[in-house]
Amino acid sequence: MLAIETQGLTRWFDGKAAVTDLNLAVPEGAFYGFLGPNGAGKSTTIKMLTGLLEPSAGRACVLGVELGSDPLTVKRQVGVVPDGLGLFERLSGSEQLRIHGQLYGLPRAEAARRADELLGVLELSDQAGKLVGEYSHGMRKKLALGCALIHAPRLLFLDEPFEGIDALAVAGIRRLLVGLVGRGAVTIFLTSHVLEMVERLVTHVGIIHQGRLVVQGALEEVRGSGTLEELFIRTVGEERAVPLGLSWLGEGPPR
Amino acid sequence: MSGAPARHGGAGEGAARTSPLRALAELRFRLTLRRLRGRSGVPEIVARAVLLVMALPAGAAFALLAGTGAFQAVRGRGMPPALAAAALFFGVWQTWTVVAVTLADRESFDLRRLLVYPVPPAHAFAYEMAASYLGDPFALFWSLLLLGAFVGAAAARPGPWILLLALTHLLFAAGVVALVALLQEVLARLLRGRQARVLGVAAVYVGLVALLAWGSSAGHRALLRSLAALSSARWVAYPAALAAEAGAALYAGRAMRAIPWLAAQGVTAAATAWCAYRLALSDTRSGVEGGAARGASGGSGWRLPGRLGPILEKELKVLLRHPLVAVLILVVPAIAGVVGWRALPFIPAEAGEVVRALPLFGFALYAQLVTQAFWLNAFGWDRGGARLWFLVPLDPAEVLRAKNAATSLLSLAIFAASAAALFAAGGPPPAWAMAAALALHLGIGPWYRAAGNVVSILNPAPAVHSLQRGGNLAPASSLAGLAIVSAGAALFAPPVLLALRLDQPWLLVVAWAGLGLVGAAVRRAVLPASARLLSRRREALLAAVAGDGT
Repeated sequence: MLAIETQGLTRWFDGKAAVTDLNLAVPEGAFYGFLGPNGAGKSTTIKMLTGLLEPSAGRACVLGVELGSDPLTVKRQVGVVPDGLGLFERLSGSEQLRIHGQLYGLPRAEAARRADELLGVLELSDQAGKLVGEYSHGMRKKLALGCALIHAPRLLFLDEPFEGIDALAVAGIRRLLVGLVGRGAVTIFLTSHVLEMVERLVTHVGIIHQGRLVVQGALEEVRGSGTLEELFIRTVGEERAVPLGLSWLGEGPPR
Repeated sequence: MSGAPARHGGAGEGAARTSPLRALAELRFRLTLRRLRGRSGVPEIVARAVLLVMALPAGAAFALLAGTGAFQAVRGRGMPPALAAAALFFGVWQTWTVVAVTLADRESFDLRRLLVYPVPPAHAFAYEMAASYLGDPFALFWSLLLLGAFVGAAAARPGPWILLLALTHLLFAAGVVALVALLQEVLARLLRGRQARVLGVAAVYVGLVALLAWGSSAGHRALLRSLAALSSARWVAYPAALAAEAGAALYAGRAMRAIPWLAAQGVTAAATAWCAYRLALSDTRSGVEGGAARGASGGSGWRLPGRLGPILEKELKVLLRHPLVAVLILVVPAIAGVVGWRALPFIPAEAGEVVRALPLFGFALYAQLVTQAFWLNAFGWDRGGARLWFLVPLDPAEVLRAKNAATSLLSLAIFAASAAALFAAGGPPPAWAMAAALALHLGIGPWYRAAGNVVSILNPAPAVHSLQRGGNLAPASSLAGLAIVSAGAALFAPPVLLALRLDQPWLLVVAWAGLGLVGAAVRRAVLPASARLLSRRREALLAAVAGDGT
């Protein structure tokens, strides 16, 4: 069964296509890496699949439910770390997690218990009472991940979850995510620019370029004998050289 | 060093070096231009034009009044010079300060963003103050009034003394702008900590209860006499007090006597601006956003029932942590106390019970008005968090319902505190007046919320949790708020005329409660449509408040 299936999914912005005719097939239980250069359409795709953006054309089926027809059923079963996150700056970390859980229907006491547990796992217990607005970027990312997990979703959408997080925390989160997929508890749809890490994590991969899906399949199949980075560069274009010039660099600032 | 040649690089030898402040001004200009050319540009231009068209005649009318008063005072007719100058400067000072502190909606730069550039922070702050003055429509209004008084006085007795009068007015305006900046910095600092805020609110209530207890034992008159003695403390309002002394001397034709007061105006304005600058700078460098609340405890949360419970808890907590809310809860009751003390005793008994209750009704409405930044821009405060409303499995109607409930509770709390202060200083009103004021406040709320939901969805603007940095409503929303508040007041006004004509005060309770029930039914009926609108407009809303673009 497919956790995510899209057909002809398209999104236009002011007459310009951001995503064109996207046909995704993400198997249930997969750790799916959705890759592409900046502006390729990764975040737009996640926004369409999570209901933040209306598709201009095409259809999307998430966990067997047509997204357009029953969005609330889909939302109950997915967790999201969106681009730009979705946190309230004037709540403390623990309040954010607990209220987030309650919004998904968890009883207050259970939401509070899970919030405490997640804060511990994400190494945020010391900062639990601090306002989210005072969190560092990395701490916010971790908290957003906690929010995405608190209601035990069947499908996780993670938009650049490791960006700005320290290496130790990344290792911990990586173990957590791999463990979840390994137990068959969750399907993960992840975007990241850190190809080496993606290669170590994912079971399936899709590459989007200029709004179009150009590669999709099991990692072993699409990568062949090379690395994911080689596949990526081969698919979306040769490594861009840093342009020469900028001769004024080194002259020092104006006095 | 504007105009000095560049020593290095990109600009080329001999090219004129750009002044950083000029670059900041250009940045501000371009950002404004870009905004006006954007999606909400046309409504914003129209709203600004309409606001200007409305403000200018009102300002001109008041300026004419002030000019006539000053003309007569200088000519030795009408009010004595001392009284005329005091009325002008204390009147303008009081309204300018109160409006700026409670309803600050001005544009200004964030000092924190400027510290990264090689601009002396003092220059940036001075620039920010000047920009806040120029971008504030209320400041334009007060300036027109001061200009009118100046022209009136100058026309009454032309001569070189008017240069000193012009200086008095300019230093007064500078002093008030500096004082407003200082008050905003001080209030934001004092109210940052939750404990300080709770203690501040508690102190106000304890003070009011003590006043009530003492007033009831010592007698109402004794209470008024002791409060009247406080008028000797007018120097607290030093920009007004110093300008009034200088103005009175100049009106009376004693220019030399005005000079020490002018010097004092200059010194205090500079000292106030310096204090505001030091506070702003230390706040900026501390890394804590102005007005940030600290030490929010976790725990298992509030026991609020139903699906609405967690949303309502979030909304209330966010509101209670906003420094403006703390200021409103402190300042509006304080204004009510002053009205109870200074205005209520002067309304004669013959005017009738309804007229005597008008200040109470005014605060019932004012409590709704001062919270409009929250119910006219319900999603602007969520910023990135607004994404959550569309990610979680919630009916958008529930979000709107919780947001409406939270702002209604807030305005009710402000009204309750204001009514208590009014009673404490002016004596308790009859039971019907209390019931009518409550019916007015609770009755007009649903009408405002129903309209506010639509404005919040159609014209959201990212809002900042800070007293120092305003701009919490888009101009079109400000205009819509003006129209909504006026329409609501017009809807609830006819019963007053009827009650006055028939001399039946209880009519007000019945009529306002009835209008309130109709309003509640209307809000309930339009909520599903508002929820659908919210769902349809989610992309534009997130683009505006969370910065989600293509």
